Amino acid sequence: MNASAIIFYILSAFILGAALLSVTTTKIFRAAIWLLFSLIGVAGLYFWMQVEFIAAVQIVVYVGGIVVLIIFSIFLTQQSGSEMIRPGKKQLIISLLAVLFGTAFTYNLIQHYQFTPTSSKPLAANVSDIGLQMLSTTEHGFVLPFEVVSMLLLASMIGCIVIAMKAPAVPGSLPEGFEKDELPPLQLPKNILVNPVQPAEEIM
Amino acid sequence: MFLKEYIKDVYSGVKSLLIGMRRTGKYFITPREIITEQYPEFRAQLSERFRGEVVMPHDEKNEHACTGCTACELACPNGTIKIITKFDIQPDGKKKKAIDTFIYHLELCTMCNLCIVACPTDAIKMAQNFEHSVFDRNTLTKKLNNPGSKIREGIE
Amino acid sequence: MFSLQGITNGIEKWLHNNMSANMALLVECAIVIFLAISLFAILGLILVLMERKVAAHMQIRLGPNRVGPFGMLQTTADTLKLLLKEGLTPDGADKFLFNLAPFVIMIVAMLILAPIAFATGFQIWDLNIGVLYVTAISSISVIAILMAGWASNNKYSMLGAMRSGAQIVSYELSAGLSIISIVVLTGSLQISEIIESQRNGWWLFKGHIPAVIAFVIFIIAVTAETNRAPFDLAEAESELTAGFHTEYSGMRFALFFLAEYINIFIVCAIGATLFLGGWMPLHIGSWQGFNHIMDFIPSSVWFFGKTFLLIFLIMWFRWTFPRLRVDQLLSLEWKYLLPISMFNLLLMTVVAIMGWHF
Repeated sequence: MNASAIIFYILSAFILGAALLSVTTTKIFRAAIWLLFSLIGVAGLYFWMQVEFIAAVQIVVYVGGIVVLIIFSIFLTQQSGSEMIRPGKKQLIISLLAVLFGTAFTYNLIQHYQFTPTSSKPLAANVSDIGLQMLSTTEHGFVLPFEVVSMLLLASMIGCIVIAMKAPAVPGSLPEGFEKDELPPLQLPKNILVNPVQPAEEIM
Repeated sequence: MFLKEYIKDVYSGVKSLLIGMRRTGKYFITPREIITEQYPEFRAQLSERFRGEVVMPHDEKNEHACTGCTACELACPNGTIKIITKFDIQPDGKKKKAIDTFIYHLELCTMCNLCIVACPTDAIKMAQNFEHSVFDRNTLTKKLNNPGSKIREGIE
Repeated sequence: MFSLQGITNGIEKWLHNNMSANMALLVECAIVIFLAISLFAILGLILVLMERKVAAHMQIRLGPNRVGPFGMLQTTADTLKLLLKEGLTPDGADKFLFNLAPFVIMIVAMLILAPIAFATGFQIWDLNIGVLYVTAISSISVIAILMAGWASNNKYSMLGAMRSGAQIVSYELSAGLSIISIVVLTGSLQISEIIESQRNGWWLFKGHIPAVIAFVIFIIAVTAETNRAPFDLAEAESELTAGFHTEYSGMRFALFFLAEYINIFIVCAIGATLFLGGWMPLHIGSWQGFNHIMDFIPSSVWFFGKTFLLIFLIMWFRWTFPRLRVDQLLSLEWKYLLPISMFNLLLMTVVAIMGWHF
């Protein structure tokens, strides 16, 4: 066993351990943090494979984006400090069975696949190559998925703007959903509304 | 026009920030404007009007001007001054009111100057001393008349 | 000629002559770790002192001037004091995450140090996605802040962490866009190539107005990303006591404090690399004589000079501007910086395609 293999096993153990802790912990915020460590471990695996671009994108998308989103939604919705109830016996057995089935399925696939060792050097993907491949219209180009993803993102962005947009407030009108006679009429002294701040010269 | 307003907004914002930065930058490069006074080496001479604490001046014959009238004690809004009086027997046999102890609580004093205004004989005044910190707060309770001092001749 | 590159090459040659390749690698790792840690310690001491001195002089004061000549040993004394203090863990806190957070933030700061070029050929890891790596790793630090804020079990910490999260996530966009506009000009993410492309002049001068706008936006965005005034809502003393590190004391507080200053150094180093040419001396086009004179100044002096110039600029901001409100902070990003930097990126692309830059 050489140093590279040792690093691989350490990284794998880290990923699996963090993932296991993430599903067994009873505090939801800790679960998110363990998930984060697991994802960082995957990025470490990409670094180990010397595909730095994928590793950096993994960190940007999963750590900087998705986990932060998860944590924010936990903060805003759950009682993040309280312990959750442990799962019942039936849930435990079913999940164990699912894990066993998944393991068997994957093992079976790996067993039947012929891993042919290649002598070619690891691919050195230049950033400009990735950019060209992204927009190339040839057989293995990614222009269609790229455009589809762009459309999806644009649509979600417009959706966000529409949700966040408020109707321009008309002075004196009530917000939507309020009936006129639900609220008592505003009874403020007239001079406050008309002239809220006196000019400095008048006070002097 | 929306775009015009937007550009004007950005322009005025940047301009106001630059004005602020010019001011602090100017202070940074002119060290002679520094107003810090290095305290233990340089003790500030405070002006006559500064009220540090109440003192009772004594002259060289160890005499003061306090008649023990307690006007200052009555004038004090928070009980800073306490005067204990006694009766001196004068040579002609008459008794005369005089102070035994003039107690002054510095820890209670707000330096409002009312006692000095109230004093009919100008026996007490405000000193400009400001270094009042001590390790024990009992030492802030002071006796203002010197031991063995007596009232100056001719003050009623 | 005497240079840092010569020293590192000499050490490597000596190690490879005297021991096996694996052993030499391990020793080199140890040397790098030792250098990184000592750089952190020295930077922490210098930057805190510099901040206090700059602040004092901008407020017409003298600043620390008692411990050592001109108060130069003040921060050393403070660090000793913090080392001796007790590190308390609150009773209701999530102890594990509470103790983990300061280390996460320090590890992140150390990782970002890897691709920074300090001088000619003096760089820990010249990976081919340098700038993207920095952007990616620095996004982990927000997790450490959220961790610290949540684990403290304190409402001020929590509010500070939430504010900080919202702030870092939104300002990352415009920082990233202004970095990309330089990447558009160089056509590479590798730090050494970005520096090499500035041999005949810095991008700030070569890239016309779009580069200047990108530089201004970059400085504003990184000021916000490092949680410094006028964007210090996450630790606003007057509102949240100290934000996410309210409950920290002793050496763990010192780690947070140190990480803040290290992050300032790193973002300023990145800014100096992208816009001011890193260790590249000031070269003007084809003035051979002028360029030759500039080459006599060592490259490390150029790098640290530019970085500290940017750090001074950020400190100047801090001691001039008042703190923003949360809504002002977000409207500054989403209504001003982001549209302007997007438009600027388009402009920069046009400049790069037409070859209008020098």
